[in-house]
Amino acid sequence: MNYNLTTIREIIGDVLCEVGEQNQNIYVIDSDLAKSTTTDKFQKQFPNRFVETGIAEQNAVSIATGIAQEGKIPFYVNFAIFVSGTAWTQVRQACYANANVKFIATHPGLDAGYDGASHHANEDIALMRVLPNMVVLVPSNHDEFKACVKLAIKHQGPVYIRAARDVVPDLPSQSDVEIGQSYCIKNEGNDFAIIYEGTSTELAYQSFEACRNKGLKGQLINIFSIKPMDNEYIKKISQEVKTIITLENHSVIGGLGGAVSEVAATQSYHAPVVKIGIEDVFTESGPSQQIKEKYGLNVEHVLKELNGLSNINNNNKI
Amino acid sequence: MGLKMKERKELELLANQNRRHIIEMVYQAGVGHVGGALSIIDILTVIYELDVDFNNPVRSRVILSKGHAVPAQYAVLCSKGVIDESEFKTFRQLNSRLQGHPYTCDIPEVDATTGLLGQGFSLAVGHAIVKKNNKENTHVYAIAGDGEMQEGEMWEAIMYAAHHKLNNLIFIIDYNRLSSGGPTNDIINMESFIDKVKAFHLYAIEIDGHNMEEIVSAINEARAVVDKPTCIIANTVKGKGISYMESVAKWHSSGLTDEEYEIAKNDLQKIEVKIKNEL
Repeated sequence: MNYNLTTIREIIGDVLCEVGEQNQNIYVIDSDLAKSTTTDKFQKQFPNRFVETGIAEQNAVSIATGIAQEGKIPFYVNFAIFVSGTAWTQVRQACYANANVKFIATHPGLDAGYDGASHHANEDIALMRVLPNMVVLVPSNHDEFKACVKLAIKHQGPVYIRAARDVVPDLPSQSDVEIGQSYCIKNEGNDFAIIYEGTSTELAYQSFEACRNKGLKGQLINIFSIKPMDNEYIKKISQEVKTIITLENHSVIGGLGGAVSEVAATQSYHAPVVKIGIEDVFTESGPSQQIKEKYGLNVEHVLKELNGLSNINNNNKI
Repeated sequence: MGLKMKERKELELLANQNRRHIIEMVYQAGVGHVGGALSIIDILTVIYELDVDFNNPVRSRVILSKGHAVPAQYAVLCSKGVIDESEFKTFRQLNSRLQGHPYTCDIPEVDATTGLLGQGFSLAVGHAIVKKNNKENTHVYAIAGDGEMQEGEMWEAIMYAAHHKLNNLIFIIDYNRLSSGGPTNDIINMESFIDKVKAFHLYAIEIDGHNMEEIVSAINEARAVVDKPTCIIANTVKGKGISYMESVAKWHSSGLTDEEYEIAKNDLQKIEVKIKNEL
């Protein structure tokens, strides 16, 4: 697969301006990171519908809930660690009220590389998907992110959109995405299935190719919607393939791998689920690609895990 | 602009009826935060009488940030016909819409889902931003407990409101001086509220939170301020109106025995007679 690389973060401001132009109900809330998240573009275009709280994330989320309760559609855009962590009970209250608040979380997982472990949001999927009423979407490219914003506007209730700061392949969507649907990107056989969340797309593509080069035939699946999850599809995959590998820029606890395991485990017989992500540790500063490499988000790790299972299953040896 | 004696006494009667609702609810349910509900009921009664019109879709809002005082809000909503007295016994029980803290999904008229202290002023700011953009002639009232002001987010909200001169916003601090664990100022000293909110650039008014004349006057004064949000610091008595509850920490949250219920009813009956005699 040949492709250029891009980031999702860079289009956030433009996408919000586009929907803000069409829909006067759209508000954007920021906590002093508008330049980093690119929502300063919305601020310039729609100053009356832009709310700058300063460095007060809890205040920001509760304000967003108040705005939503007046019939508007607020988007709170901030780093994932602040949205999902600093303001968790405020987000929870928004969910409890089923308030029509939308969250766009940038710098998820290890994407805040140089900032170090304090800023690495390796728990955001777990923290958000556990909340009733919350929808959790993980777009993997520009088209999907744009679709996420539109789906969020259409959906009545809270939505969390995870927007990569690190690079993703600059490829168009293969299909129109929907809440609750996952998408098979490649289907070449049933030796394995790699299921990935959006911010791990490049690693997923590279890993799939490496497996193919080893003679394994598998499936590549873009989860897109972590909650609600495409349960029937995951059940089908878990009975179809020999091994499921989940790839996530997130802790291996409670994230994509956890969610997939919860579904697979309901089946009498299912493929083992190998969770590749950040182990139960705090990370460190560095370029995000290098941190990912060091903490296990790398192709060799995928091949090693697959090989280990292949031995156990007495299948194709890599 | 003094209140006419008749208007004042009518408000007092209404507040007394709402006190009776609170006592009925907490007695019948066997649980509830009765003390802090009784301390805000006079203010709450006035706000709804003066400025909340449920027949108008564009209306003022009342955010009960100290959500545990929800029996007071249900009591007023009962007076307004939103809730029926027959529902009181279901308060805090299974399969009831009278949840332990305000919940908009079941009763939209409560205006905000609260309960976790510290978030209500921010919710009110959100409402106020939209109402200001809409150029509505309405207000957003947000009521906090004195102990609740120990939550940092409340001051974040105040900073935002002052910076943006949200003059459609009226914060109220129910200064009944008692928290769950004892005297508020022994736990963490909050003195002086008036100095603090002035330093945060709010328009500050201090009143006796049980004096109808002062409550009405403060709300009218707040509504006339053009360049600032207002904060009303209401000096109140936790458990106000019930002889054995006033300023007694136990009545932060407790059910009533049959005997306590009878005394409470009797206390409120005496107040009613007194008000009527003055009419």
